[in-house]
Amino acid sequence: MELALSNTLCAFFRYNNGNKSHRFYFLIIFGLFLCVSKIRAQDMASLSPSELKKLSIEELMAIEVTSVSKHPEKLTEVASAIQVIRNKDIHRSTATSLPEALRLAPNLHVAQLNSYAWVISSRGFNTLYANKLLVMIDGRTVYTPLFAGVFWDAQNVLLEDVERIEVVSGPGGTLWGANAVNGVINVLTKSAGETQGLYASGSVGSMLRNNQEVRYGGQIGDNFCYRVYGKHFDLNHTVQADDQDVADKWGLYQGGFRIDWELSKTDNLTFQGDYYIGDEKTVPRQTDFDGQNVLGRWTHIFSDRSQLVAQAYFDRTWRRMPTISFALATYDIDIQHHFSVGERHRVMVGVGYRLMQDDTQNYTTAAGILPNERDMHLFNGFVQDEISIVPETFKITVGSKLSHNIFTDFEVQPSVRITWTPDKDHTVWGAVSRAVRTPSRIDVDYYIPTNPAPGAPQVAGGPNFNSEKVIAYELGYRVRPAQAVSLSLATFYNVYDDIYSVEALPGTLTYQIQNGSEAQSEGVELSGNYQAASWWRLRGGYTYLKMDIRNKPGHDFDPTILANDAEHRFLVQSIIDLPWNLNFDLTARYTDKLPRVVPDYFTFDARLAWSGENVELSIAGQNLWEDKHQEFGLIEIPRNIYGTLKCRF
Amino acid sequence: MKTIAPKPKYFLLAACMLLISAQISPSNEYKVKAVFLFNFVQFVEWPSKAFAEKDSPLVIGILGENPFGTYLHETVYHEKLTGHPLVVKQYENVKEVSNCQILFVNPDNIGELGSIAEELKQQHVLIVGEATEAFMKRGGMIGFFLQDGRIRMKINLESIKEADLKVSSKLLRVADMYNNKQ
Repeated sequence: MELALSNTLCAFFRYNNGNKSHRFYFLIIFGLFLCVSKIRAQDMASLSPSELKKLSIEELMAIEVTSVSKHPEKLTEVASAIQVIRNKDIHRSTATSLPEALRLAPNLHVAQLNSYAWVISSRGFNTLYANKLLVMIDGRTVYTPLFAGVFWDAQNVLLEDVERIEVVSGPGGTLWGANAVNGVINVLTKSAGETQGLYASGSVGSMLRNNQEVRYGGQIGDNFCYRVYGKHFDLNHTVQADDQDVADKWGLYQGGFRIDWELSKTDNLTFQGDYYIGDEKTVPRQTDFDGQNVLGRWTHIFSDRSQLVAQAYFDRTWRRMPTISFALATYDIDIQHHFSVGERHRVMVGVGYRLMQDDTQNYTTAAGILPNERDMHLFNGFVQDEISIVPETFKITVGSKLSHNIFTDFEVQPSVRITWTPDKDHTVWGAVSRAVRTPSRIDVDYYIPTNPAPGAPQVAGGPNFNSEKVIAYELGYRVRPAQAVSLSLATFYNVYDDIYSVEALPGTLTYQIQNGSEAQSEGVELSGNYQAASWWRLRGGYTYLKMDIRNKPGHDFDPTILANDAEHRFLVQSIIDLPWNLNFDLTARYTDKLPRVVPDYFTFDARLAWSGENVELSIAGQNLWEDKHQEFGLIEIPRNIYGTLKCRF
Repeated sequence: MKTIAPKPKYFLLAACMLLISAQISPSNEYKVKAVFLFNFVQFVEWPSKAFAEKDSPLVIGILGENPFGTYLHETVYHEKLTGHPLVVKQYENVKEVSNCQILFVNPDNIGELGSIAEELKQQHVLIVGEATEAFMKRGGMIGFFLQDGRIRMKINLESIKEADLKVSSKLLRVADMYNNKQ
């Protein structure tokens, strides 16, 4: 029965013969005229005089010169297992999509299942329905309450305009929302003011059949900046071991905008939105999906010591898979205020409310979600105090999140974090946190079949399913042993309780989803940056993970299906500036074998690019080591070679 | 628009300073500020009498401790403005300041500024520093400040006019204006 459940879940991601041809046409018209402004936001590694002298005054003013960001939560993040993928790292990789960019974070296990499905997790529990990660794009939460995981195919951004991706492994402190059990992925795009001018890019290749991107950013008056963008791509199919077509081609159209309006020196308004529509080959008919979202954010600065952020968004997403369709509307409002009290306390408080309304249609009685509709209300509030015990040297951060959801009522997620910074080159930190993964529809409302005969074997939801819980113990060390080297070591020991299980009610063939498993995990995450020479930068890391999942006493389930994690992973990215405006970049990675029959693999991506005044030409190869390799299932991911022409005016 | 090669002594001076402080690497903030100082050379117009000769150096002076390490030296190395080679000089106190066109005032030395600001204006010196109220009030002309982790500038146009300097509109457009009467 467990296997049946697992298989049906797999069906969400299933592949096979569908039909071709896009039914969707999406017209993007941009004014290719108007003034050609050349502000290219700069983020540079070395800030050498010769580089900086090339920049205009405006460009110099766009450089972020402080390492501790404007957001006060940054300080606590430094005392966590955070790894940051910057625009310059993405630009110098072969990544063409968000999951591919996430491969650049050594603390994430990123596995490509087929052409459009990815499984991504940190600190374990990576499965098709990996559900212990909080993923946000510009403040908008994108994991689905269907299974508390992420449909990665629907999460697209213009990588050119991404400022940075923060990847926190571990509970990530008090501030992040529910679901941040094992980590947080926070994708932040640049402000409209930093993405001025015209950007156009076109790629053609083997796996990436084609990719087109256009963005125009402009300014009206002194304080109003905007950008609009559109993109389209088609991806080729993956293959079976015998090179047979898996028939999982897919494509997507997306467009969007962002407006940043500086109302006054102390007030900023951001307004942004996206629209996307895509389709994938699946059996017995293709999968269609689309979505729209709009978000507004107001930032008000009372003073250096007090700032308020209010944000609201609406997100609608719809997906019709062969066995089920799922429409979801999310309304969310959040207010955060941080302020200093005296010289020693930095306080952050926040409240939020989210309504998720879904509409599920089951196309088969073999399995499905019941009831068809749910209104899921989520209230949350948090308070955190960062206390300087010894100014600049020793601080303690205590906080807790309190939330209320329709399945388990109140949840408390406290954390304590200690940071010791003996000097600016060394930080030692430790943390103890409790986090929960609240139930999703697939935990509570999943039935196999949906109309069971009395007495026949069946899975009858999880009416008593409770939140999964973790107590995480972390210890970390950040060091800059030399000007050109920075290293971060994070270790953790996690104790999980009330983890998912599916078990028969005593004396019957009726199975229910329960909390019958428990687990422990421990691991080490090492990451670093090294500016080996003015023309050569290296970044990368190593991650070790040991998982132990078992039944709780008195329970009977095969919990090994809940995780499929690699014990060792390595990543190295090498970024080289050659003479004649050439770039040569390599990213190599090794992933250990997975328990459920995926052999270990090594592969690398390479990129050679030439850039002129306004033009960049590149040829890139992904997964070059072998002609194809498995990453998560039996499907093999083929090598991909593509060429790209980018123009920036 | 005659340009000439820097005189050997300035080169030597720059080279010595490079050696002396080769170990000091400034923060990104001061790297960018150093390049701002270099850019001011192009955005500010000095009266011809500000220079003793047509080929005398354009001196960027630092009053007080040097927060730029060698970075400012590297930035202006081999650069010139219409025949004036750029050089960096460091002054321990105000008494040493002479014949310079741009003076960066370390915040620790703002106290000394008041006593000589008027004299510096007579010498057509562009006074640059951190945009504290104290600095701007005491005759500071361009002040840096940080906003959202980025460097911005305040310009005291009145002081600049008193020094007989002209600032390009390009620079004025991106800076905030400081008003003495505030």
